[in-house]
Amino acid sequence: MALIKLTALSYDYPNTRGLDQLNLEINSGDFVCLMGPNGSGKSTLLRILSGLENASQGDYHFDGQAITADYLANPQDRQRLHQQIGLVFQNTDVQLFNTSVAEEVAFGPRQLGLSDAEVAQRVTDCLDLTHSSDLRERVPYQLSGGEKKRVALASVLALNPKVLLLDEPLNGLTIAAQQQMLTLLQALRAAGKTIVMASHNFKQVQAIEPRFVIFNVAHQIQADLSAAELAAQPEQQAELLTL
Amino acid sequence: MHIPDNYLSPATCGTLVLAVAPVWTVAVIKVKAQVKAKRETLPMLGIAASLAFLIMMFNLPIPGGTTAHAVGGTLLAVLIGPWAAVLALTVTLLLQALLFGDGGILAFGANALNMAVIMPMVGYACYRLVQKWRHPKIGLFVGAYLGINVAALVAGIELGLQPLLAHTASGAPLYCPYGLNVTVPAMLAAHLLVAGWVEAIFTILVYQFVAKVAPTNLYTPTPTQSRRPWAYLLGGLVLLSPLGLLASNTAWGEWSPAELKQRLVAQHLSQQGPQGMVRGLHFKALFQDYTIGNLPISVGYILSAVTAVLIFLLLMRGLQHDTQTTK
Amino acid sequence: MTLKQPNKLPDWLEQPNQLSSQRQRHNFLAHNQQHLQQLLARLSQPLPAVQSKKWQLSPAMSLVRLGILVLLIALTNNTGWLWLLGLLIAGHLLLLSPSQFRRFCRSWLMSTVIALLIVLPSYWLVGSATVLLFGFKTGLILASTQYYRLTTTFQALLSGLKALHCPNILIMTLAIAITYLRMLGHYLLQTMQALDMRLVAPAKHPYRLIGTLFGNLFLKSQAYALELYAAMEARGFNGHYVNQPTTTNRWHDVLTLTPYLVLVTLFIFGRYYGIN
Ligand SMILES: Nc1ncnc2c1ncn2[C@@H]1O[C@H](COP(=O)(O)OP(=O)(O)OP(=O)(O)O)[C@@H](O)[C@H]1O
Ligand SMILES: [Mg+2]
Repeated sequence: MALIKLTALSYDYPNTRGLDQLNLEINSGDFVCLMGPNGSGKSTLLRILSGLENASQGDYHFDGQAITADYLANPQDRQRLHQQIGLVFQNTDVQLFNTSVAEEVAFGPRQLGLSDAEVAQRVTDCLDLTHSSDLRERVPYQLSGGEKKRVALASVLALNPKVLLLDEPLNGLTIAAQQQMLTLLQALRAAGKTIVMASHNFKQVQAIEPRFVIFNVAHQIQADLSAAELAAQPEQQAELLTL
Repeated sequence: MHIPDNYLSPATCGTLVLAVAPVWTVAVIKVKAQVKAKRETLPMLGIAASLAFLIMMFNLPIPGGTTAHAVGGTLLAVLIGPWAAVLALTVTLLLQALLFGDGGILAFGANALNMAVIMPMVGYACYRLVQKWRHPKIGLFVGAYLGINVAALVAGIELGLQPLLAHTASGAPLYCPYGLNVTVPAMLAAHLLVAGWVEAIFTILVYQFVAKVAPTNLYTPTPTQSRRPWAYLLGGLVLLSPLGLLASNTAWGEWSPAELKQRLVAQHLSQQGPQGMVRGLHFKALFQDYTIGNLPISVGYILSAVTAVLIFLLLMRGLQHDTQTTK
Repeated sequence: MTLKQPNKLPDWLEQPNQLSSQRQRHNFLAHNQQHLQQLLARLSQPLPAVQSKKWQLSPAMSLVRLGILVLLIALTNNTGWLWLLGLLIAGHLLLLSPSQFRRFCRSWLMSTVIALLIVLPSYWLVGSATVLLFGFKTGLILASTQYYRLTTTFQALLSGLKALHCPNILIMTLAIAITYLRMLGHYLLQTMQALDMRLVAPAKHPYRLIGTLFGNLFLKSQAYALELYAAMEARGFNGHYVNQPTTTNRWHDVLTLTPYLVLVTLFIFGRYYGIN
C-alpha cells in the first residue's frame, strides 16, 4: 500500500488556485523530486503533505489514514503525524527560533521525552551529518542563508521522521555543499526514509536518480517519471534544465 | 482594555485627546532626536506599530482553558525606546479603531492615554529605576505588571466617572452606566489577577530572548538627555487640567462641585434602591426621560413609514444574490 | 573540522521512530494560526467598493461623514434624532451589494450583542430605558463604523487623512504599519507553522515558546526596518509621502454631505427650540 496517496486533490488560496486535481502515490522508501516553474504549486503540495494545510477538494491518505480537517484538529493526531513527517521550509528563516544552534536541534528530541544523554547524542550526530558542527554555539538568527538551510535540516532530522519533505534544500548552497547534502539524502534513502523534495537544480539532482514529478503552470502534474524513463525523453530533460 | 465608543461622553473624549496632545508633541520631538542617531527608527515606528498589533491580537493561554491578551506597551518601550513606543502604539490604536473596530473612534484619545502613554511610560520608568540597581529583569517584570494595572485603573476611572459627568435631569446615566464602584474594581480585578501577570510574563520572556540573542538590538537611552521636554510636558498638563473640568462643566453643566460630591456620596455610600427594579420595565419610560414625546405625532408617523420601507428593502437586499459583479 | 562519513548514519536514525502520544491541554498554536489566517485574508482582500459610483464620496469626505455621524449619535439622547440617524445609515446600507450587506449584518450583530451583554447587568442599576437607549446608540455607532470599514480601502483611508492635512510623517507611518502588518503577520504565521511541525509533544512551557516567537518577530521587524530605510534612501526619500490626487469633484462631495450638514445645524440650533 502506498504511504502517501492523493486522489483528485485540489487546493485553493483565497484568490488563486494552488493545486489542481492531483493524483499521486508515493511508496515508502521513494525518493521524489518535485520540479516545475515558479508558482506551479510545489511548496503548496509539501505544505499539504505535512498537514499544515487542508485540501480544498479531494483526499489525502497518509499510511492509510485520511488526513482531514477533523483529523488535524485533534492535537494528538496532529502530533502523531508530525512525528512521522518532517518539513524543511523554503524560507528557513521562519524555522529557526531558538537561542543557539544546539538548542535548535535539541528542541525536537527533547519533547519526545528522550534522556539528556540521548538528546546530546542526537544533536552531535545531526550537526555532524549536516556539516554544521562548527555552528553549534552560534545564534541561528545570525546565520547565513546556506548555514540556515543546513541547521534547519539538522533540526528536522533530529526527530527521525519517517518522511522528509524538503522545500528547495539546495537553494543557496555552494556546489560542494549541494553535493554533501545530496550524499546525506542518499544515505537517508538507503536507511529507508521517504524523501520528497522540491528543487530547481536538475543537473545535481539527476545524479542521484530520483523519481521526477513535474508540475506545469496550471498547477497540475504534467509528468511523473522515474529517472530511467526520463533518460529516454531528451526534450523533457531539456525543459527541466530551464527550470 | 480598548474602550469602545459610546462608553465615554464626547466631552470626556475631547478632553482626553487634549490631554494626550502635548505628550504626542514631546514624543515627536524626542523621536526626531532618536532618528538622528539611528536612522532606521523612522520606518521602525510603523513596523513596531504592526508588531504591537500582532501582540495585541495573539491569544495567550491561561490556566483554566481560556485565553488572555498582552498589550506589549512596556515591552515596546524597552525595545524601541519609550517615546517611539508612544508613537508606535498610537498608530496601532488608530489602525484598530478605524479599520478593525477595536476601540472607539471618539474614545481614541482615552485609549491612547491608557495604552499608548500611561502603560509604556509607567513600565519604562519602573524598568529604568530598577535597572540602576542592576536588576533590569525585575524592573521590567514589575514595570509591565504595574504599567498595565495603572492603565486599567485609569480606564476604570474614566468609565466610572461617566454617570457623574453625563446624566439626564433625572439622574439616568447617558454613557457608561456603571459608577466607579463597579468599573474600578472590575478593571483592577481582571488586571491584577490575570492580565497583569500575563503581560509581565510575556514581556519578560520576549525581553530575555532578545537580550540573549541580540543584546545590541535593545534600545539604549542616550546619556545626555535634556530635561526640557519633561518640563514642557508637565507645564502643558498643568495648563490643561482646568480645561478638563471646563470641558465637562460647560457641556453638561448641571452640577456644581458640591453637587458632584453629594452625588459621589449618594452613589457609592448609600444603598440606593435600584431604579430599574423599583420602576419595573415600563416601555413608557422611554418617553419619560427622553424626548421622543416632543416630536409632533405626524413626524412620528413619517419616521415609522420610512423605517418600515427601509427595513423591507434591506431584508430584500439580504436575501438577494449578487447578480452583477460589484462596480 | 573532522567529517564523519555521511553514508554511515547513526543507529537511531536507521531505526524507525517509536510513536508516542500525550494528551494536550491547550492548543494555543492552532487557535492563533486560525486567527492570523483570518487577519491575513482580510488584509489581502481588496475591499469591493460601493456599488454605484454615483454615491461615492471622496476618501476625505467619507472620513468626515463618519466623524459627524459618530459624534451626532454620541451627543444626542433624543430617540427621535437617533431614529432619524438610524434611517440615514440604513439608507446607506442600501448601497451595499447583497453579499456585502450580509457580511455587514453578521459582524454588526455580533459586536452589538457583545456590547449589549456588557451593559445588560446595569438594568438593575439604572432601569430599562437607559439600557435600551444605550444599546440603540451603541448599535448605531457600530453600524456607522462598520459601514465605513466595509467601504473603505486602506489606500482610501490614507488619502483621506492626507486630504485632511494630517502630518506626512503620520501618514507614512500608517502606510508602513499596514504594509508590514501583512508581512510580519505572514512571518509570524509561518513561524508558528514551523513550530507546529516540530512540536511533536505538548509544549511544557508554552510561554517560553511565545517569548521566542515574538522575540524573533521583533528581530525580524528590526531587520525589515533597516532594509526599508535603505530602500527608502535609495529611492530618494525626502520625508514626504506622496499619493495620487483624488478624482471626485468637490460639488459632488458637498452635495452628498448635505444631509449631515443639515443635521449638524439642526442639532446645534435645535437646542434652543427644544427639538432635541
Ligand atoms: N499565501 C498565499 N496566498 C495566496 N496565494 C499563494 C500563497 N502562497 C502561494 N500562493 C500562490 O499559489 C501558487 C503556488 O505557489 P507555490 O508556493 O506552491 O509555488 P512553488 O511551485 O513552490 O513556486 P517556487 O518555485 O517559486 O517556490 C502560486 O500561484 C502562488 O502565487
Ligand atoms: Mg516554493
